Amino acid sequence: MTALLYRSSLRYLLRHSWQLLLAVLGIALGVAVVVAIDVASGSAQRAFELSSDAITGEATHQIVGVSGGIPQDLYRHLRVDLGVADIAPVVEGDLAVSGHENRALRLLGVDPFAESRFRAYFANALQSGFDLTKFLTVPGAVLLDRDTADELGLKPGNSFGVVVGGANRKLELIGYLEGGDDLTREAISEVAVVDLATAQEALALGGRLTRIDLIVPADAQQEKILGLVRQDLPPGVELQSASATRDTANQMTRAFRLNLQALSLLALLCGAFLIYNTMTFAVVQRRHLLAVLRAIGTTRRQILLLIVSEALLLGLIGTIIGQVAGIALGKSLVGLVTQTINDLYYVVSVRSITVDPWTLVKGTVVGLGTTLVAALAPALEATSTSPRRAFETVELEDRVHRAVPAVTLLGVLLIGLGCGLLFASGKQLVPAFVGLFAFLMGATALTPIFTLGLMTIATPLAGRLFGQLGKLATRGVSATLSRTGIAVAALMMALAVTVGVDLMILSFRSTVEDWLEYSLPADFYVSAFDSPARRYASGSSFDPELFDSIKGIPGVVSTTALRHFQAMMGDTPVRAMAMSFVDESRSAFSFVEARPSDVWTLLDTGEGVVVSEALAYRRGLERGDRVSLDTPSGQADLEVAGIFYDYSSEQGILMLSRDLYRHLWADDSLTAISVYLSDSADPRRVKVELLKLLGDWPRVQVVSNRELRDQSMRVFDRTFRITGVLRTLAVIVAFVGVLNALLALQLERTRELGVLRAQGMTPGQLWRLISQQTGLMGLTAGLLAIPVGISIAVIMVTVINRRSFGWSLELQIVPATLAQAVGIGLVAALLAGLYPAWRMSRTSPAEALRSE
Amino acid sequence: MLLATAIFLTCQREGTSVSVPPTTTLVLTNLLARGDTEGYQRATEPRTFSFPDDHGAHPDFRNEWWYLTGNLTSADGHQFGYQFTLFRSAITPDDPDRQSDWATRQLYMAHFALTDVQANTFHASERLSRGAVGLAGVTTEPFRAWLDDWEIAGDNPPPFRLRAGTDALGLELELTSAKPTVLQGDRGLSRKGREPGNASYYYSMTRMPTRGVVVSGLKTYAVQGSSWLDREWSTSALEPSQTGWDWFALQLSDGRDLMIYQLRLEDGAVDPLSSGTIVSMDGTSERLGSSHFSIETLDWWISPATRIRYPAAWKILVPTEQIELTVTPRLADQELSLSVVYWEGAVQVRGSSNNRAVTGDGYVELTGYGDPPRRKPTQ
Repeated sequence: MTALLYRSSLRYLLRHSWQLLLAVLGIALGVAVVVAIDVASGSAQRAFELSSDAITGEATHQIVGVSGGIPQDLYRHLRVDLGVADIAPVVEGDLAVSGHENRALRLLGVDPFAESRFRAYFANALQSGFDLTKFLTVPGAVLLDRDTADELGLKPGNSFGVVVGGANRKLELIGYLEGGDDLTREAISEVAVVDLATAQEALALGGRLTRIDLIVPADAQQEKILGLVRQDLPPGVELQSASATRDTANQMTRAFRLNLQALSLLALLCGAFLIYNTMTFAVVQRRHLLAVLRAIGTTRRQILLLIVSEALLLGLIGTIIGQVAGIALGKSLVGLVTQTINDLYYVVSVRSITVDPWTLVKGTVVGLGTTLVAALAPALEATSTSPRRAFETVELEDRVHRAVPAVTLLGVLLIGLGCGLLFASGKQLVPAFVGLFAFLMGATALTPIFTLGLMTIATPLAGRLFGQLGKLATRGVSATLSRTGIAVAALMMALAVTVGVDLMILSFRSTVEDWLEYSLPADFYVSAFDSPARRYASGSSFDPELFDSIKGIPGVVSTTALRHFQAMMGDTPVRAMAMSFVDESRSAFSFVEARPSDVWTLLDTGEGVVVSEALAYRRGLERGDRVSLDTPSGQADLEVAGIFYDYSSEQGILMLSRDLYRHLWADDSLTAISVYLSDSADPRRVKVELLKLLGDWPRVQVVSNRELRDQSMRVFDRTFRITGVLRTLAVIVAFVGVLNALLALQLERTRELGVLRAQGMTPGQLWRLISQQTGLMGLTAGLLAIPVGISIAVIMVTVINRRSFGWSLELQIVPATLAQAVGIGLVAALLAGLYPAWRMSRTSPAEALRSE
Repeated sequence: MLLATAIFLTCQREGTSVSVPPTTTLVLTNLLARGDTEGYQRATEPRTFSFPDDHGAHPDFRNEWWYLTGNLTSADGHQFGYQFTLFRSAITPDDPDRQSDWATRQLYMAHFALTDVQANTFHASERLSRGAVGLAGVTTEPFRAWLDDWEIAGDNPPPFRLRAGTDALGLELELTSAKPTVLQGDRGLSRKGREPGNASYYYSMTRMPTRGVVVSGLKTYAVQGSSWLDREWSTSALEPSQTGWDWFALQLSDGRDLMIYQLRLEDGAVDPLSSGTIVSMDGTSERLGSSHFSIETLDWWISPATRIRYPAAWKILVPTEQIELTVTPRLADQELSLSVVYWEGAVQVRGSSNNRAVTGDGYVELTGYGDPPRRKPTQ
């Protein structure tokens, strides 16, 4: 009996191979997107962790400077005066190999005499006997991993060009690093090891170190040694455990990775609908057969098992294909993910894709689990009906129609739950995503009632426009709600997600564009740092005389001096910027709910500081609060005079007047200068003068406001490229879903359409009927997707983005985006109707009547 | 005291160096093994010494060292021997023209060994550093020679202060000088080889009353005793035919100090260039040629750690000075198994000087007795 059951099942699946193929494709795509995102962001994260570990080595603690490194004399002091033996100085930076622009390496400057216990691959390299004299005495002597050297086509003795800190340099490969196991080898492939002297010179660090590594075992002596070290640290220098560094990096990208994961789950959700749809069809189409089977004695259990096995088989095939495709897709996405991480957070280059076994487990669970859940409802439906009633299709539709109020109620409840979660979850990101998903599911559950409503309204209209045929189309949609409902819901969901994500990106983009427009009022920006990401950590700075010389250039009407640094606020470092305000520069700031004049008064008198919106959000600061800053002249207690809009840093920025900074930090140096020109000045000539003046400075960038704006927008667009890719993937999954649903729906109607043909309907009329019906469904989905999509955009802009990055964005509702959603819905639906219409019109009525 | 040259020699013979411990310690050995003397100053003829300048570094010579050894006793009779050496080595003839303060051609290595006679323990340790950014170096006014927190410092003339070791095993001493500075060899030019320039500039303070504290075996001892300072700089010294040497620095109870070294040749014979110096109670010194003394080995000891066989007791005769001494190590195992392997230890002396019975303390250094162990890199 069982064998017979499975034979009938196989027969059915083979006869509906189109459907079968699309269902497998849907599952595969859903799984592939989830796996791909996991692989891409996992590989980027692992690459960063590996190279971090390689760089940290055996260190248990690190002494780090919150602003621009630490004075090298601190190292001498610890070693020589205090006798702390297990310490090693480190100078670290990033470099790009000329001619291999995408090959970023971490430049690691070490002292060979202090290294032995810290980084084994260096000690191993010493063992293997590279020329230490060269390493110490030849400027630019570097050690690379052997594979990295091969990849760059280098042999010992070869010189090669690199870009370090914005300047071109020459390095000479003098030997290889020796990683013991594969893991170390992979980790060191990202590292270029040089002598500390070379690193200081390459990064123009002067007498500063990036950090000091310590090995202080957790024994009785630990607190004593740490205490000894701590008591002699100058202000702005911190002792922290080595694991804290990695945690910080992980923390930085957490929101970014979470957003990617949520988007990949959306794609899967579309995939799940597809499976649900396929399985429902598989049951609905076989109601008659199943009823016969039940009537001749097959048990409910057997039927349930049969349906579930079918689903699992499809799920398994889809999952396997999805895993393979996901890994391949992950490989192409990893570049986008890394690019964003490089732009926004830290430098990492991924050389090999790592597939965490957990990713595959996750993909399998997600693929099979979703299939099972999606198949369960139709399977239970198939077994719960009594055999006699199952012969009647009408009964099914009746039941579906009766269930509409319950589904609608469920939808309303889900939306309520989602909104509740969004409002009640404070600053947490995960519940916000759960809330978003609940909202989306709720909105999807409203699709049937919306469809019925729309069809009721549309029937008279369709009748007037297309006559009897039009009415036939709208009523057909309502009458076959058990099948059309799901197809419309899947399409609606995909379209709503597209609308939501598109609106969010557009809002984000226009907010940033507006902000860039007013926040960059100067004509030229002269900076001592090479990349914006490094400006708060860079050790390089200008002397104040340069500021005066620039003022003297003809055509320059005004200049603003800036000093980027890191301040300690409580126990945590915060990015800070000191600025000398002139009237021109004040327009660069726009404050949240405050009279600008009040804010400026407090800033100018040095009584207050302002914080960026992201910082205020992160630290829970409000106007009028007081912040306590660690300064070389002691604790400074300052008022938060205002909160300003800023989209340059998601960590947030604190700003104060340069006079106050000079007073508290006793530091005159500058990191950047904004230059304002008179209306009559020729920017090109001023730039020439500027460059002439800056000729003696080793690494200075002069950028015009236009270039800076363009640069910023380029970074912005790069950042959202991955989001765009994911959105497109979700649409493809949904499209496949709709195609599948509509195709099945129309094919199933073969008999019904055969009757119509037999009664005299022409192939052209048939074609019109089918396209009108699928078009109506696409339209329904598109129309419903507009309010749902806008709601998603609102949630993303006001909740998800705010909690991820702390920025407030101005929501833009762009009609074109909404129209586009309706357009995509219509096109997808019409395309889906093409094949069945073509097939039906070519089938003779007699054959059509016989076929089922 | 010829140790640095020993390193040089050992490495020339071995080609590569040892790996004990398997890390940077071999570094300096490698550096010292470079044979190119081009561009460095050479010790070719006697020079005028002037202090405090000559306590300081002579950066244009390739190698240099500050070498202290001594025997110390606590009030309750606990005996210690110590050795502290700071080696300097230049890796290129010219100073680098670079921006970073870390760029240098001067590297430093320090060895510290402590013999606790009653506890029957011997500990030796080593440190390396570049001579830059204040991590290691030598200054003359005031005099200070240091690497990390190990240092010799003081005025000219002494007292010098020596601090070395760790909180758990180390010492802090104050040394004065009881005799004038002795210029070894020919007015301070000590020839080691036949080639002109294969020589060093060499002076000593042979008797330095010493007091201070020693920390050993979880106890702190107030100690006093006598130390010996050797200062030597050169660019090249030994020649390939010379396999090693036995060096003796002995302080006798009648007030005389005896320094002799015996260079051993490949064929087992003693090199006629071996020599020594006898310093009288009032500080006047006289050179001893190789024909003036003889050294007979009375016993041997095999190191359990390296399997190297070292002489372990000696009969020393200096007929012209009417000296006849038996020298025995205070501990058998005073082998330093560091980047280079050698034996350097506290010894006690019995015998006669000018026909009167004498006792004495001293230090002996034995190099070139075996191949250094070739351990595989362990990481």
